[in-house]
Amino acid sequence: MKKYELMAIIVNNVDEKVAQDVAKSSILKRITEFGGKITFEDFWGERGFAYKINGEKWGYYFVCQFEIEGKNIAKLERELNIDTKIVRFLITTVDSDIAPEKYEDIQARAKAATTKPEESTPVEEKESTSKKEKTEKEVEEVQKDTPKKDAVDKKLDQIMNAASAEL
Amino acid sequence: MTTIKRKKFICTFCRGKVKNIDYKDAQLLSQFITYYRSIQNRFHTGICLKHQKELAVAIKRARIMGLLPFVRHEK
Repeated sequence: MKKYELMAIIVNNVDEKVAQDVAKSSILKRITEFGGKITFEDFWGERGFAYKINGEKWGYYFVCQFEIEGKNIAKLERELNIDTKIVRFLITTVDSDIAPEKYEDIQARAKAATTKPEESTPVEEKESTSKKEKTEKEVEEVQKDTPKKDAVDKKLDQIMNAASAEL
Repeated sequence: MTTIKRKKFICTFCRGKVKNIDYKDAQLLSQFITYYRSIQNRFHTGICLKHQKELAVAIKRARIMGLLPFVRHEK
């Protein structure tokens, strides 16, 4: 008996609880019917597609691992193809050494991988702070400029007044 | 004659960080596809031939299940 993994997309026009029931009733039940032994199951929940599948943008993902005889795989595939509540499915073989991973663990690992470059982000922050400083300096310069203008105006007024007095 | 010294590039999967190239890990696989979402040549990523073949299978499986796109859609 080989170990297999099945990933299935369930239609999105039902609630999440109903989708879980679909996974249990139509997928897991059929595997056990064909003499399979389920070792792992994980309901991912709703997830968006990378492209439109049958005109839809998202669906419920379900993953399970099981041991079954090779000749029964074709029968299982036939049954799942007929089911209208399953959009798409994929059956792959799995090495028995590798432990199955839950969706949360996969996501956590992906997050950990993406947080690494955050250590180098402070450099960008510094740049942004320097920009802020620049802007502040500019503001100060503008503020410095304004009193100068006032002084010029005052001087102009003085000159004009003097000129008018002379006249 | 000046000789250019180059660092010896080791495959990221050979380093043992990732034991199994899993098609469910879309975040990992997305590092090895190009701007137009085609599989990147191993000349650019520095992956050994053995792991590149495994990676290509994983990306193709992820594409079929809607985890990764086949092509880039311009908005």
